[in-house]
Amino acid sequence: MMSFRGRMARYAASGSKGIAVGRIAWRQQLAYKTDLLLRASFLLLILFVFEQLWSAAYGGDTSKVIGGFTLKQIVWYLVFTEALTLAVPPLAARIEEEVKNGEIAVRLTRPMSYVGYHYASYMAEAAFRFFVHLAVGGLIAWALVGAPAFGAGWADLLLLSAGALSILFLLHAIVALSAFWVEETSGMSFVLNKLQFTVGGMLLPLDLMPEWLQRICAWLPFQAALYFPARAGVQAHSADVLRDLAIQIGWLIALAAIVTWIYRRGVGKLHVNGG
Amino acid sequence: MRALTTHGLSKTFKVKRKPEGLSGSVRALFKPEWKDKIAVHSIDLAIEQGETVAFLGPNGAGKSTTIKMLTGILHPTSGEAEVAGFVPWRDRTKLAFRIGTVFGQKSQLWYHLPPIDTFELISRVYELTRADYAARQRDLIERFELGPYLHTPVRKLSLGERMRCEIAASFLHRPQLLFLDEPTIGLDVVVKQRIRELIRERNRREETTVFLTSHDAGDVEELCSRVIVIHHGGVLLDEPVERVKRDVLSRKTVRLTLAEEADLSGMPETAGVDIRESEPGRLVFSVDLKRIGIEEALNAFLGKVRIADLTVEDPPLEEIIKHIYGSQAREEVRS
Repeated sequence: MMSFRGRMARYAASGSKGIAVGRIAWRQQLAYKTDLLLRASFLLLILFVFEQLWSAAYGGDTSKVIGGFTLKQIVWYLVFTEALTLAVPPLAARIEEEVKNGEIAVRLTRPMSYVGYHYASYMAEAAFRFFVHLAVGGLIAWALVGAPAFGAGWADLLLLSAGALSILFLLHAIVALSAFWVEETSGMSFVLNKLQFTVGGMLLPLDLMPEWLQRICAWLPFQAALYFPARAGVQAHSADVLRDLAIQIGWLIALAAIVTWIYRRGVGKLHVNGG
Repeated sequence: MRALTTHGLSKTFKVKRKPEGLSGSVRALFKPEWKDKIAVHSIDLAIEQGETVAFLGPNGAGKSTTIKMLTGILHPTSGEAEVAGFVPWRDRTKLAFRIGTVFGQKSQLWYHLPPIDTFELISRVYELTRADYAARQRDLIERFELGPYLHTPVRKLSLGERMRCEIAASFLHRPQLLFLDEPTIGLDVVVKQRIRELIRERNRREETTVFLTSHDAGDVEELCSRVIVIHHGGVLLDEPVERVKRDVLSRKTVRLTLAEEADLSGMPETAGVDIRESEPGRLVFSVDLKRIGIEEALNAFLGKVRIADLTVEDPPLEEIIKHIYGSQAREEVRS
């Protein structure tokens, strides 16, 4: 058995490895200027379209409240959910590629956890993109519907976004690790993305959905990945934030257990391609 | 000290068999047929610390599968192995600190960033102290002459420059055992030579055990002291390079470009010289150095042909291996 101090030292070593991977991934992001620019322009376009759509739904009335949201709140809600969704790197495609071309062999001969490596690199990239999208999206929303409500909401948004991106990592990791068995993961990725769009509350706050659907969503992890942080960003209620945080932690533990189980089974029977 | 031992190491894969055509694919979807494929069959190896071993065999002989088991990526179907004191598949992470890998066709360097960034990452992953990393980096940068491109993005480096960085990176954590898979593939002669020298120097200075697979006879001849050939998943030959060289590498191929068409019809046969191709403007023959020197062999042609250009080559590794298989088969028939 490893002593307590020994175990702590191992955790510290893993942590500093994760930070090192995060730093290099962050630096690599700066090399992808065109990709970043393209995503930012896409974000401008969709936010503009949605703003037009919602303005029509609200009949241009800035004081009207639908499902607890004003027009301004809805548009800022979309900025937050889009910033989170577009921040997620294509994890499944990456792992599938590593398995197909055998590059996974290089990663597995390193003294670092495979999933840990991908988590560190994913979080660095996702955080980088999240802030860029938040800035770009914020700019257009500000121009179209005015300044957001600053204050506790933004602190809650950032706090819940860290958990949200981690939950998205785990959900995508489940799909990605299935590449150890199946040849093609893009179908599953497609379904996962569409679930995020709908029951995750990306396009529409869950409050605006029918009662029965809301009840189903409450039992799914997707709301914790988009709806929680975005709603907290526009409507700060500290009691809700604590409850949201607790639900996020619950999902993190459950999904991490599933990912660990899948990884252990997969790596045991992995057939690394190529020589 | 032993760097690596295996005993009866075997690996069998289950491969899905798909009948031909669309109907076959549909049938396979509902009722897949599985077939066992023996990739590695009972391999016994014993390699000492500091040895340089060439691990050869034709494609599909089981080289990669063996290396993947020795690095802990694959679990064997049966048999035992110990690498640097660990059972690879059981203690993969602990073993990772002691071994290094270079896969000629797969890069460990971050493509858009300068090599120094990857070096820094590797130093963290292998838990080197800052002082150790600085000293190690200085030493390797100087010996591998990496100074000029340490701060250039990897995508802008030539293949030769990149490979030097790759290999330096894999030495950073002082591996006891280095697995090299086709480290000189695609490189020109001068760069190949330099890379071999650098690996040899590390082997001498740090007693790094080298376990190399290559299709290049030069890699084997200049870098390794021992050759292990596998075929159909089993060890076919395990001998010092010197002996293999004496027996098999003693043949050279001479290619002549001729200034005029030659008529060799009346030429007497020369012992140890075997004409392989003779066509207008070109003559290729092999020389058995055990029977005749290169100069003597050339003398046999002088006066009969006018030479415009000349090259002397080692036979390709495939040919050497084929020769080994041939002699092995003959021995089997004899016994």
